[in-house]
Amino acid sequence: MYDLYLTLRSVTPGQKGREALRRAGISCELLRAPRAIAPEGCAYALALRSRDRDRALEVLERAALRPEGLWLRGGAGSFERSGL
Amino acid sequence: MIYLDNAATTLQKPLQVARAVAEALRFCANPGRGGHAAAARAEQTLYRTRSLAARYFGLEPEQVCFTANATEGLNVALRSLIRPGDRVVISGLEHNAVTRTLAALGARTVPVTAPLFDGAAWTEAFAAALTPETRAAVCLQVSNVFGAVLPVEELGKLCRARNIPLVLDVSQSAGLLPVRPAAWGAAFTAMPGHKGLLGPMGTGLLLCRQRPEPLRFGGTGSRSLEQSMPPELPDRLEAGTPNVPGLAGLGAGLAWLLERDPEELRRTEGERLAAAVRGLRALGLPLWTGPGQTGVLSFRLPGWDCEEAAAAYGRAGVALRAGLHCAPLAHRSAGTLPEGTLRLSVSPFTTAADIRGFLAVTRRLLQK
Repeated sequence: MYDLYLTLRSVTPGQKGREALRRAGISCELLRAPRAIAPEGCAYALALRSRDRDRALEVLERAALRPEGLWLRGGAGSFERSGL
Repeated sequence: MIYLDNAATTLQKPLQVARAVAEALRFCANPGRGGHAAAARAEQTLYRTRSLAARYFGLEPEQVCFTANATEGLNVALRSLIRPGDRVVISGLEHNAVTRTLAALGARTVPVTAPLFDGAAWTEAFAAALTPETRAAVCLQVSNVFGAVLPVEELGKLCRARNIPLVLDVSQSAGLLPVRPAAWGAAFTAMPGHKGLLGPMGTGLLLCRQRPEPLRFGGTGSRSLEQSMPPELPDRLEAGTPNVPGLAGLGAGLAWLLERDPEELRRTEGERLAAAVRGLRALGLPLWTGPGQTGVLSFRLPGWDCEEAAAAYGRAGVALRAGLHCAPLAHRSAGTLPEGTLRLSVSPFTTAADIRGFLAVTRRLLQK
């Protein structure tokens, strides 16, 4: 059900972001980022619904968190990069 | 046993601490490395401890870095700031964790001294020593030998005005006195997790308000293709598998402290220390005491070698520490070299009966 992945460099900002999003009522999950969206090696991603995109980015900005990348998950596990 | 060696480590901990350690041993895998439930649980456990520490010290979670002890934190802080030949102003009460590290770095160390319990005199002495060529200042908040409280807030103001980075060692004060690195402008603040924060040994915190240089290099579970350590905290300082059970226990210690009134904890510990001071004074023993004294009391038994006296206390069921307490500079500053002192130190779990028992043993030893 989650089709938007916000990548973060490591687990701590991921956890901080998850907390901030959940406090704002935005449903999300913290995952190890699939390799396809982690070009520098291991990373974490906050997975959420694309309809929550703008509000989620606002919440993360208020928490001083800037995702590295924003990816839309397509069929068959493919990802397409989206602008921040 | 009457345990009065809390400045070395608090032996009595809240029950929740042991429970958290045991749960982590059973249910937590390696955090930041796997996506399975046991790894995720470990990550949550560490983040909880980090967040509790951030709340306790008024910082953001990512500014809280886990270390093995205060010494490691001080090593990171000093190695991040100091180059050979740099002038570093320190209090004359610093521990070997500071002085040996500075010696290894080839710093020009300038110890500042003042009467032990005279905060205004310490501030004045620091103000005079903080010259424009000073690279950094290092100060403990509470002396691990004498329990004297140094004016770190005032020192922070002096350092800010002169643009000098300040490193704080809050090993004896964290968990007892307010520690506010952001308000005080401290670049780095180091502490153990196993003393006033009531966690297990092998844990510590380094609170970072500027970017440190790592002491350890290795895997962080992030940016694995890059061969330099990640720039962001806490990963920059946390290479290798962390002490998850210990840090789970530290989280339980922090939670215990956050549930309590800090004023009440300070009042109770202050009463215990004051009772010890009154009792030793009534026996006419030499002791080092003064206004604001916190947690720690040094004294001597005339005619006794300090180590032999501590051994005699130990045989009588009282745990004290004797000698130089890894702080020869403090003893030099206070004029208590070469013998050192006997040291008593209290915790939230020290009872009035403990102090009465200690004084009864002291009276018996004096009759020998």
